[in-house]
Amino acid sequence: MGFSFVLAVFGSTIAIIVIMGFLLYYFAVDYRKGLLGDTNSALPKTESNTMLSRMRRELSFSAFMMDDSKSIGIRYIVTSIVLFFIAGLAGIGMRLSLWFPNPSFLTPIQYNILLTAHGTLMLYGWAVGGILGLTYYLLPTSIKLRKDSLGTVSSIMYWMYLVGALLLIFSKSTATWYFYYPVVDQLTASGGGSYSFGGLIGVMLILTATITACIIFLKMIFIDRDKSIRLSSLPLFAWSVVSTAFLIISSAPVSMIADGFLIYDLINPIFFQGANGTALAYAIMFWFWGHPIVYVAVIPAFGLIYELLPRFTGTKIYSYRAGVLSLLLLMVLSGTVWGHHLFNSGLGTVWDLIFSTTSFIVAIPSAMSVFNWIATMWVGRVRMSVPVLFIINAIIDFIIGGVTGVMLGDVGVNQLLHGTYAVTAHFHFILLGLTTGMAFATFYVLFPTLTGGRNYNIPMAKVHFYLTSIGTWIMSGFWLVGGFAGMPRRVAGYFGIFQTYQDAAAIGGVVLGIGYLIFLINFLYSAYKPVETGTGNALEEEAVA
Amino acid sequence: MNKTTPIAIFIVVLLAAGGSFIWFVESSGSSGSTNFSATYNSTQLIVLYANAEGWNYNSSHPNPTLYEKTHVLLEFKVIEQDNLPHTLTINPGINESSTNTVLSVNIPAVTGSVVWVNWSFANPGIYTYWCEVHPETMVGKLVVNSTSSNSTNASVVSSVPPQVTNLISYSSSVHYKITVRDEDDEVW
Ligand code: HEM
Ligand code: HEM
Ligand SMILES: [Cu+2]
Repeated sequence: MGFSFVLAVFGSTIAIIVIMGFLLYYFAVDYRKGLLGDTNSALPKTESNTMLSRMRRELSFSAFMMDDSKSIGIRYIVTSIVLFFIAGLAGIGMRLSLWFPNPSFLTPIQYNILLTAHGTLMLYGWAVGGILGLTYYLLPTSIKLRKDSLGTVSSIMYWMYLVGALLLIFSKSTATWYFYYPVVDQLTASGGGSYSFGGLIGVMLILTATITACIIFLKMIFIDRDKSIRLSSLPLFAWSVVSTAFLIISSAPVSMIADGFLIYDLINPIFFQGANGTALAYAIMFWFWGHPIVYVAVIPAFGLIYELLPRFTGTKIYSYRAGVLSLLLLMVLSGTVWGHHLFNSGLGTVWDLIFSTTSFIVAIPSAMSVFNWIATMWVGRVRMSVPVLFIINAIIDFIIGGVTGVMLGDVGVNQLLHGTYAVTAHFHFILLGLTTGMAFATFYVLFPTLTGGRNYNIPMAKVHFYLTSIGTWIMSGFWLVGGFAGMPRRVAGYFGIFQTYQDAAAIGGVVLGIGYLIFLINFLYSAYKPVETGTGNALEEEAVA
Repeated sequence: MNKTTPIAIFIVVLLAAGGSFIWFVESSGSSGSTNFSATYNSTQLIVLYANAEGWNYNSSHPNPTLYEKTHVLLEFKVIEQDNLPHTLTINPGINESSTNTVLSVNIPAVTGSVVWVNWSFANPGIYTYWCEVHPETMVGKLVVNSTSSNSTNASVVSSVPPQVTNLISYSSSVHYKITVRDEDDEVW
């Protein structure tokens, strides 16, 4: 991307026009008035924000101009969905290019750009962003928020997240989502590229936004919740947010410090380069956050299952206490297992065994949750509506992903499977089935509210479910088998013996893509439907209409 | 909900996903995918000491002129000698140019640091290798001749002028021994 003066002038002119248009619009249109009426919109901002955040709010672009929690939630939800589709298309592109053993329509550089974009955008943009969105949207009603303050901070943090995501897209880094040192600093065309600057700064911006949002969540839960809700009856979703927030606040800064050193290293490499043995230091600091982030992507999904299951089975959750215990144990234990990503990096046998043991132990709270859900479904009567299908699929996929995770956590097995598609299969089962599946299940639950009283088309939603469920199985399943046969991950081409697995997985990827496209079409279709139901939803009975 | 909202979001998603995909795979200007390391059938190790006074300053031939062949994987082992920041930058032509580089890597400013970088040239010609921090002192020529097809290893060796053989230890296979400093052996 050569620097062009004309382009810079042209680009900044357009940017200024867009920003001025936005500001004019912002000052001309007063959405508060429309939503709250004349008298209430004149209240101080914290109070009117609190009223706004108690309402059932629908999707609207005015969310980008207000800063109550629900509006911020809508912003994050919309943005993260867009990022999901960007990263998803990148994933499908990689899959299709791997149809033939030799690199086909993607050169290795292009493949690595897509790989990095897919990994970073899926994790930081979709998983983290989607979770922030759902939390901002659901938390105020679930804990009957008394005071919705700090809206300005949340708003600024959203814009930082957006700029970070744009930087991740524009950077075209090839350093993968690890940004490991030697790779990040190869200034050749085929190396990590000086583009890594943009990617690293993007990650830093997103992490800053995430940490700040988590502090705000903790403040909401522990200080500003309604006094009628005791800690002992706090909704399980709120507990999952507590667990996630502590996890993020305690681990993300370590990775940010490492990223800061790394950015300096790109100018003058003195911190993490190989010769003085500190390349491993970056890896350690990265994984100290790198493992928690994967649990950050699942714990809120756990919370959503805990909230949704009772509503669709007509019983209470089988054991509330076990649920809380499991969520809090996950918070503590998943901070202790990061070394299982470095079994082959020379931490030493003793450390390897310690991290292997903690990895086995972390399966216990995960299994506690799984059994809790199964017991709840066992006791109650399950109605097979679309969200329930997603929940059941999420539980099954999480079991597969968890079991393969424990297998990977064995030092010996890890020697064989590290760096193969078995790892990729392990986490796609969970991230597709549980994280993404629960996010979409929640979107379906919130559908009438978000669209102002419109229903989704149920057959289409079922097709979406079956395609994504089957697609996940085909893709991750064949990756798993291929991985056990030694199929290496992160390559733009491969040995011919693996072609069966790769081609089957490519079909799975396409099936997944069609499934998500059908969700989008279903959503588009709702625009042409009349308002047919109330705007209530199962998750927010208490909200005022 | 406004009826245009889903339509707008639908269009935004399609444009963003498609646009980003094109952006990701579009070859990027001068440093784009045109600059591939070429295919190779043999490898050659080149050891360079990075010193602000000149490449290999402490040897008998500072800033040596290197004679190489196309389609040979050149494995540059760059060793830091003076605690100063350096780069190994290679560009076509007899003049230094930082815009049209074949490769450019940073060398860590800690004495003893080793950076490996591999490249194989597709096109014969005269190239310049230099350090972007010390362009005056650290600069040398890299002459790349074309390989006649299936040239044997021996002929490659014999084509290297005698004065540089002491800098280039030839290895005929991809395997070579990486010497690890003692401190690196400790178990963490
Ligand atoms: C039962 C608990 C789990 C255990 C014991 C476990 C174990 C492991 C191990 C040992 C690896 C490293 C494999 C290797 O590179 O050799 C790994 C990788 C990974 N795990 Fe898990 N895992 C568990 C749960 C999860 C969950 C819930 C997620 C969330 C989605 C997850 C996401 C990932 C990801 C994304 C990677 C790969 C990171 C990368 O290299 O890009 N894991 N897991
Ligand atoms: C739309 C469906 C998806 C498809 C077709 C897909 C496909 C792929 C492919 C082909 C790879 C590269 C494998 C390799 O070369 O090693 C990959 C890696 C990865 N995917 Fe996905 N994926 C999908 C969904 C997701 C989701 C929902 C997430 C997370 C929330 C995710 C997170 C990742 C991560 C973290 C990596 C590792 C990147 C790396 O190795 O640096 N993917 N995916
Ligand atoms: Cu992990």
